[in-house]
Amino acid sequence: MKERIITLWRSLIWPWSPRSSREASESVVKSFWLHWFPSRISLRSMSWSFSFWLGTITFSLFIILSLTGLLLLYFYIPSVQDAYWSVKDIDNVVSFGWLLRAQHRWAAELMVAFAFFHLVRVFFTAAYRDQRVWNWYIGLALFILTLFLSFTGYILPWDQLAFWALTIATGIARELPVLGEDIRFILLGGNMLGQNSLLRFFVFHNFFLPALVCILFALHMWRIRKDGGLACMDRLVQDTKSKEIPVSPTKTYSLLGVPKGTTIYAETTEVLDDGNSTHASPHLIRRIALVFLLTTIVTLVLALLAPFALEGAANPSVTPNPAKAPWYFLWLQELTAITTIKIGEFTMSGGLIGGILIPGFLLLSAIIWPFLDKSPKEAIGVWFHKTRRIQNIIFIIILIAIIILLIVGTYLRGPYWGFYWPWQAWPEIPTLY
Amino acid sequence: MKEKESKISRRLFLEVFGKLSIVIALVATAIGAVKAFIPQVLYEPSSKFKIGKPDDFPEGITFLSQYKLYIFRNGNDFHAVSAICTHLNCVADWKPNQREFFCSCHGSVFSEDGVNLEGPAPKPLTWHPLSFAPDGNFFVETNKQVTREYNFSL
Repeated sequence: MKERIITLWRSLIWPWSPRSSREASESVVKSFWLHWFPSRISLRSMSWSFSFWLGTITFSLFIILSLTGLLLLYFYIPSVQDAYWSVKDIDNVVSFGWLLRAQHRWAAELMVAFAFFHLVRVFFTAAYRDQRVWNWYIGLALFILTLFLSFTGYILPWDQLAFWALTIATGIARELPVLGEDIRFILLGGNMLGQNSLLRFFVFHNFFLPALVCILFALHMWRIRKDGGLACMDRLVQDTKSKEIPVSPTKTYSLLGVPKGTTIYAETTEVLDDGNSTHASPHLIRRIALVFLLTTIVTLVLALLAPFALEGAANPSVTPNPAKAPWYFLWLQELTAITTIKIGEFTMSGGLIGGILIPGFLLLSAIIWPFLDKSPKEAIGVWFHKTRRIQNIIFIIILIAIIILLIVGTYLRGPYWGFYWPWQAWPEIPTLY
Repeated sequence: MKEKESKISRRLFLEVFGKLSIVIALVATAIGAVKAFIPQVLYEPSSKFKIGKPDDFPEGITFLSQYKLYIFRNGNDFHAVSAICTHLNCVADWKPNQREFFCSCHGSVFSEDGVNLEGPAPKPLTWHPLSFAPDGNFFVETNKQVTREYNFSL
């Protein structure tokens, strides 16, 4: 009996703790949960210093957000009358509710940051080139979804921050030529912020946006495999190929015959050997688990040390002064405040230029950049490759500009969006509600 | 006698119409789904509402926070200016010392007449027409706009 229980247990867990090289190879084929991993993974891809595991951290944050969010859903009431007070209850009445909400909020802010760091890493290692261009686009879509998720998330408590953020954001949407008014009307479900608006953003936040993230995440992972792994694999393939290692004669490319040429997918598996790679099970899985645990600990500790306070309940008659968006949108707020153009009688609102045209232009640049990048293949998978110096400098200038706008918006703007140095006293007490 | 050959075969005809019917069904469904999101009835307050009798308003400027509206009184002359900033819809505050309106979201400044002086606001504040209700109260119509020469004299 004991023997049989042990055998049964072993049949369940062997893919996670293989006892032989053969079991390790078979694990990714025979376990449903591991089937999206490669059998072997290069040590370079596993290293901390190539990718900094930024994508895995971002995904871990998404898992944390899904779990804490799911629990919060049981206590949140999506109604204009009750939303604010139900979040107050989460903070003050529900056991450990404050911790759930604080961890959710911290994970959300970190997810925006880490999704962006991941994008920066991909840019500096030229990991968006050639066959990887589709994964670059999926990644951009995931980043924008992350921003929308965070925005729709902080609408839900229906406090002053939520109310005025939604007022401003739908004001920006209205600036869109031709369709602006209609889009605002449909988003809000009326001419003014109300019950329809809150319920719409509730459903966006809890169903449509997370569902899209899940689908695109699956595609993102699938494409990594089909595109030949992380970009650093391209280097390994090129280095090994130049040594002219003969292809194993037992290699079968396909069940139906030998196709002409070799796919990237096959090339990358050919170059992996005992010296430069290891089994994905258990080594890759162990490392992913480690990253997930560390991410959880960090969000938990931050939540314990610095929970987020709600602002006052939404008051449609009083705009907080200064009214500031969360930090990751402050560069856009700063842009909308300073980009209104007046030439004689002709005026173009900063809402259109700073809120729509400039972010739109940045997104468009990211979309066409892979086609403007003329650096050689040797640059792919290398940090700051010397042939990419000019484009890296352009990218860094854009980064610095965004960071400067963030700092100005966060620390140097006071009442009525006036400019104040940190050591200058504000002329009036901030209005909150 | 040889049958006249038609240019479109039966197979092609059915294929094209079959695919077309799928497309039409999908588009119609999508239109229906979007239409559901356009409210048929709005439970919003009316854009024409009473704000009080002339004697309720002292000389100078009164802010009706509920309606985001400034009522100006100069003797027997009245006019109403919206407090909603023309940049991105925040509330512009009246500063009696500077005699100007200031918006807290992005720093727009408007003159006493509502003309945009500084900051990102692209247009002046909106003036709304006043009228009398039969019971002696003022009516304001916030869906209508009047010029800055507008004046409602008692």
